[in-house]
Amino acid sequence: MRSAKEKRPAGQKQYYRRKKVCKFCVERIDVINYKDVKLLSQFVPERAKIMPRRISGVCSQHQRLLNHAIKKARNIALLPFATE
Amino acid sequence: MRNYEIMYIVNPNATDEEVDKINGQIEHIITSGSGKIEKIEKMGKRRLAYEVDKQREGHYVLFVISANGDIVKECERRLRTIDAVIKYITVRTDEEVRRFEKIRNYRQKRAARRGSSAGSAPNQSSEEAMQ
Repeated sequence: MRSAKEKRPAGQKQYYRRKKVCKFCVERIDVINYKDVKLLSQFVPERAKIMPRRISGVCSQHQRLLNHAIKKARNIALLPFATE
Repeated sequence: MRNYEIMYIVNPNATDEEVDKINGQIEHIITSGSGKIEKIEKMGKRRLAYEVDKQREGHYVLFVISANGDIVKECERRLRTIDAVIKYITVRTDEEVRRFEKIRNYRQKRAARRGSSAGSAPNQSSEEAMQ
């Protein structure tokens, strides 16, 4: 099914974008804990902003939970609000 | 009774005894107010992500308790008055735990249904192939 869809007419430049999947759905992480700095820091790049869903591919439910967790972690100085 | 997590940061210049003393005070508030302590975790000295009270480090302490709101209120009031505590946060956890259990139950139920239908339904393999 998928392979037929991806096939393009000849001449057109071919490139395949890998389908993004939600890390939390795949690894079945149900509770996103604000103390888990290692996990959360994967979703806050250098400037310490929260990574948007369109880049990370996280599903909306998990993005919301992730948001709450990151904000809690910022509150107790586990994660930065911004890098100086 | 609800479940809470209280986490606070003590000034890095405080000695271990001082930290223990603060922990004792908080413990006393909780136990004397019919609350229950499930865990006290000293997470040790950690680097702060940003400067708080001109400090870049701090002793992290985590309490996992089940108590009423009044006790939490009293704990927060006390933490605010202790000078060595530079930051604290209280998080309610029972709702999150309930949500997690709901998801887990659902998943188990689904797994059980899958497991039982595998023997009886012959067209299961074709279904899987579709997906």
